[in-house]
Amino acid sequence: MSRVITISSGKGGVGKTTSTANLGTALAMQGMKVAVVDADIGLRNLDVVLGLENRIVYDLVDVVEGRCRLRQALIRDKHFPDLCLLPAAQTRDKDAVTSDDMIALTNQLRAEFDYVLIDSPAGIEAGFRNAIAGADEVLIVTTPEVAAVRDADRIIGLVEAFDKGHPRLILNRLKPRMVSRGEMMSIEDVLQILAIELIGVVPDDELIVTSTNRGEVAVLDRGSRAGRAFSDIARRLAGEDVPLTVFDDSPGLMSRIFGAFGFRARGSER
Amino acid sequence: MSFLETLFGKRTRSSDIARDRLLTVLVHDRVKLTPDMLDQLKIELSAVIARYVPAVDAGAIEVTLLRGESSDHLKADIPLRRTPHNL
Repeated sequence: MSRVITISSGKGGVGKTTSTANLGTALAMQGMKVAVVDADIGLRNLDVVLGLENRIVYDLVDVVEGRCRLRQALIRDKHFPDLCLLPAAQTRDKDAVTSDDMIALTNQLRAEFDYVLIDSPAGIEAGFRNAIAGADEVLIVTTPEVAAVRDADRIIGLVEAFDKGHPRLILNRLKPRMVSRGEMMSIEDVLQILAIELIGVVPDDELIVTSTNRGEVAVLDRGSRAGRAFSDIARRLAGEDVPLTVFDDSPGLMSRIFGAFGFRARGSER
Repeated sequence: MSFLETLFGKRTRSSDIARDRLLTVLVHDRVKLTPDMLDQLKIELSAVIARYVPAVDAGAIEVTLLRGESSDHLKADIPLRRTPHNL
């Protein structure tokens, strides 16, 4: 049975697109058939994060308006043939698509794929509502900052109001050393405030910048701590029980930060 | 911040400040009480209290929204003027 999962955040720039690209790739690495959909009509980005920007012929709006068939608009990934991108239109705006269009589109994708990941636009308007319209579940991305957590709280309320169940949280760009110095909110702080289930913590990692520069995703880089964290999240999505580990570059630090809160830790790795 | 200050918590950690600011903002977001409404609430509150307690100082009333463990609180601090009679 296929699952449609929307990745949302409220605030822009917290890592929705990076999360979608990495989780999609990680699930494809597990042998799943995955479609990643860019629902940010007018501001498409998922194509460049995946390094597929040169291959776009048709887009989501072309499919919705009947200018091409779904299969013609899907772009096969460079590394994994079972991973496909449905790009957003760049020259249209969010009003080009309705919630009913998105539900019909996701139902079509369900027939072909195990997982359909939808990258939501920032904000709480029509674009966001379209992005969650066809979803079975929602993942919320936030960073440990006041503005991002505030917006996440608003989005959680809306997701529940739209009957999409309880969203799960990806805490992105955590800096364990700043947390240990009391200079950044901890996992515990954020979870206590938002009161939702955590699906994973992604440490801040400069390799995300360099891999994105190249149009590659971090999960392909075995040395990337963020990539490892996204792989773990993908395994948890698939139902595996993966202990929470935040990879940091200073050995021994992790247990100090997370041991006190009862999170299971495997020991830090470089 | 010196090591000793950090150790004894003389200065508030910025993560604690972030957490407290976030909690305050979220209570206001959720309760949807605008500053105008809060002012109106104070005026009406002082009118009601003045019917029972004559020495109420309407301008000094402070009403704040607080976030508690399991519920949020609307806390009113209502100072009373001291008169020679009740001293």
